[in-house]
Amino acid sequence: MDEMWAAAFWFWIPLMLIPIGLYGYLRDSNRKSGLVLALFALILVMVSPWTVPSSDSTAGGHLLLSILGPSALMAYGLYGMVFGGNVPVGRLDSSARWSGSIATVVAIVLMAMMHWGSFTPIWRGDVNPYWIVFWPTFLMFSTSLCALASLALVGFGSERLSESLNLAGLSVVMAGIALTAMFFDGSNTSAEEFRGHLWLAAADIFGTLAGVGASIATFAIVIWSYESNLPTPPTTDAPTDEEVKHVVAIAKSHIGGEE
Amino acid sequence: MNEGKASWKLLVMAAMLPILVLVAIDVSMGGGFVDEDFKRFGNALLTSYVVMGLLLMGNLFFYADSRHRPLAPFVGMFLAIAVGVIITWALISNDDLLLEANSGMRSQVLSNIVHLLVSGAAMLLAALLAIGTTFAAITGRSKMVLFEEEE
Repeated sequence: MDEMWAAAFWFWIPLMLIPIGLYGYLRDSNRKSGLVLALFALILVMVSPWTVPSSDSTAGGHLLLSILGPSALMAYGLYGMVFGGNVPVGRLDSSARWSGSIATVVAIVLMAMMHWGSFTPIWRGDVNPYWIVFWPTFLMFSTSLCALASLALVGFGSERLSESLNLAGLSVVMAGIALTAMFFDGSNTSAEEFRGHLWLAAADIFGTLAGVGASIATFAIVIWSYESNLPTPPTTDAPTDEEVKHVVAIAKSHIGGEE
Repeated sequence: MNEGKASWKLLVMAAMLPILVLVAIDVSMGGGFVDEDFKRFGNALLTSYVVMGLLLMGNLFFYADSRHRPLAPFVGMFLAIAVGVIITWALISNDDLLLEANSGMRSQVLSNIVHLLVSGAAMLLAALLAIGTTFAAITGRSKMVLFEEEE
């Protein structure tokens, strides 16, 4: 098979099938098949370094596979932390809160070990080029969002100072990891390389947010202009005496009881 | 009203400040803004605009059953995305304004999409961490008694 067609078949088409499967999952009619399609397509994207090794794009799939373990552990940990607490529905055992906290910390430590330890994602015998895209973006954005959440809690919530301080602490920890990477070399990437990619990560974050915002604004303008040009629906006639009598009779039949 | 506006400004500041601090530390160590950063910003903006536009257009198609799938917003969104694609094409092919370390137009576009996939995954994971920790902090507090009748 031609290299271009192989890349299209094993990487790009599965990548396009992920949102289509998710749309199917979110619809009421064929939820299960949509989820199966999205998961199958995601697996195909993640194993693309083996199915179509000649394509450079598969480095993205390789990175997603590399961070799957820590990401799943983090999601499991956060689920336990949230639902092990004081929630009215779906409450877990209180030990889930502790095990969840440990799982989340371990997930972050695993990611740090991917930078400083021996777990660095290696693709074609070298560091995966997208790892140095992922790592600073994750650190920078989590620092930013935790600071935002901390201020939102104390600004909009009532008596939330201690919770706010916890989040501010997490923001400082994530910023501390980023600073450590800026000063100390990783096992496969130097501190200088990381600092260079910090700017690119900032450009990525602001560019992506601006692009998504512009797209949503465009969507809103398109929908608004369509809806505002629709003709007003015709008004219905007032009910006849017969219809009023019928409604009153129904209402009377429902009035009564002990009170 | 004014208090609300001030709060939103503070929130934006809180979100921006950590990024600016990290970047400022990098500047103090001799780093700085280079052409590649502008190219990355432009590519990220245009790629996320087009990809998000396509996802929203898919949304129009899949969830418009009750409105009998009107054609006008679909065409409007298609034209808006087409404008984004034309701008991307123009900026990448003319004077290499947005061409990074790639051989040509096609490889730059494909690289942009994979780059968005990776940076989007990083941002989603960061959002998961921040939102999950926020809810964990909220649900971690023991139940408060708001009214005496609750006891």
